[in-house]
Amino acid sequence: MSERVLAVADVTKTFEEGSQRVEVLRGISLAVAGGEVVALEGPSGSGKTTLLSIMGCILTPSSGSVEVAGRRVDGRPHALREVRRRSIGFVFQQYNLFPALTALENVEYALNVKGLEGERARAEAARALDRVGLADRLHFLPRDLSGGQKQRVAIARALAGSPPVILADEPTANLDSAVGAQVLELFRALAVDDGRGVVVVTHDPKVRAVADRVIGIRDGLLAA
Amino acid sequence: MVSLARKNLLHDRLRFVITVAGVAFAVTLVLVQVGLFMGLLDKATVTIQNARADIWVTSKQTPNVDFAHTFPETTVLRVRGVPGVERADNLIVAFMNIQLPSGAEEGCLVYALHDFPAWSLPWAVEEGDVRDLRRGFSIFMDRSAERRFGPFAVGEHREILGRRFRIIGSTRGAASFTTAPIVFMDYRRAQELNQTLQQRTSYVLVKTAPGADPEAVAAEIRRIAPFNDVYTRSEWAARSRKYWVVSTGLGMNMGVTVFLGILVGIVVVAQTLYTSAVEHVKEFGTVKAIGGSNRDIYRILGEQALIAAVAGFVVGGLLSMAMRPAMARLHLSVMVSPQFAAAVFVGTVLMCLGAAMVSFRRVAGIDPALVFRA
Repeated sequence: MSERVLAVADVTKTFEEGSQRVEVLRGISLAVAGGEVVALEGPSGSGKTTLLSIMGCILTPSSGSVEVAGRRVDGRPHALREVRRRSIGFVFQQYNLFPALTALENVEYALNVKGLEGERARAEAARALDRVGLADRLHFLPRDLSGGQKQRVAIARALAGSPPVILADEPTANLDSAVGAQVLELFRALAVDDGRGVVVVTHDPKVRAVADRVIGIRDGLLAA
Repeated sequence: MVSLARKNLLHDRLRFVITVAGVAFAVTLVLVQVGLFMGLLDKATVTIQNARADIWVTSKQTPNVDFAHTFPETTVLRVRGVPGVERADNLIVAFMNIQLPSGAEEGCLVYALHDFPAWSLPWAVEEGDVRDLRRGFSIFMDRSAERRFGPFAVGEHREILGRRFRIIGSTRGAASFTTAPIVFMDYRRAQELNQTLQQRTSYVLVKTAPGADPEAVAAEIRRIAPFNDVYTRSEWAARSRKYWVVSTGLGMNMGVTVFLGILVGIVVVAQTLYTSAVEHVKEFGTVKAIGGSNRDIYRILGEQALIAAVAGFVVGGLLSMAMRPAMARLHLSVMVSPQFAAAVFVGTVLMCLGAAMVSFRRVAGIDPALVFRA
């Protein structure tokens, strides 16, 4: 394990729903080190996706602080965007691939958004896909890939730009058991080999086999 | 750089075809309608543009070249005395009745001069020698007359205002805005035909001397002929065009058609791009989640609009060109100058970009957090 790449301190999040205030997170502190896989478990509505959104700088906390790659995150929109661009890779439950782009283009486009263009972007995208075992599927459209392959493309896209933090939201929910296990193993390898911090929100019990820590979350608080 | 805009457009081919069809429809409508209008206006000034006259002296308030009023033909003598005038001649332009072999009477527009070659009138002689018009009762008739008068051949005779004329030649392209076929005859013959034309003329054509400024010469003619109007060639052509544009409502008609074409284009493009934007909301959310900004998404929509504009313009332009032979068979010309085509292209791009902006507000509010929603 190396130094921490992600930390939230005393984070709260409150949403206004009509005249009601709903407190989704109630003072959560959590740190993730490079090379570590942390699993977040909890029932629906417990606040794990909200926590993931705050760690991923998609949402800002109502109070508390977020630190990514050793820097405290400024809450202004362009600063959040910059952190997402440079330091965070996302993997989603529904893959969220661009259906009109091939596997290679999906990863290359993410690199383009992050500021890398041309041949260098294409070469790095190919390397990322090779890393997840899809070197022979570069020019396949998502519709021609299996669920596991789609999720591997999504993971390759998350690797684009070599962010120190990977955040995954239910990455195995749409995969069968064997493929889900392979994907979790891949997360483990990404953490250990590259020194990334990986946070996986999941209900999948198999995550225990690859996670360094499994943290429960209930009613907006970390469970013991 | 990967073009998500282009890939998304081509991925949904039916929507792309509908978008391009909408733009092409607007482009075709504008090109053909305005092209026809320009073709008609060209007819309104075709004799002004082709005659070798730098200055036209008319009676007061003559609205256009076809609707001439008369004034004393001696005016030409004073005009000839103006410094900078190389040559000045009288020209009669008058509607007269022509009797057809069927017995029917039709109207024709007579252009009468002493010396046609000196003024390059008529400018496209198909058959015959215009110098022969001075000999007896003879005429040149334009081929466009066949549409209304039926076929004719050199050597045949027609009666104009009761006098028998021999057709000694034919021309092409000499058509009037009023659709009355143009007939060329000698100046004195025209005066003999019609009492009201005796010692009167419709215009004085003026050719300026080399190096003389037509504007300055026209100003001097205005001074010595205060009871006439004096125009340079471009002023007279503009006045003739303006008459038909304003007085007939043609300009308004064309404006409404162009407006409707643009409106249809905007609605189709805006509707298809907006639907596309709504259907790709989750993708745009993903773009934002991986670090993209609203500007990145606007660029996608703008690029799609641009692609639709270029493809629609090309298809619309080709359709317009394909319609030209059919229009020509109806004796209508679709005149599209490179400048006008360029203006339509710029307009098409602006129209499509404007339509894309309808979607901007929708995508600006996309919450990247929606990527976590199943």
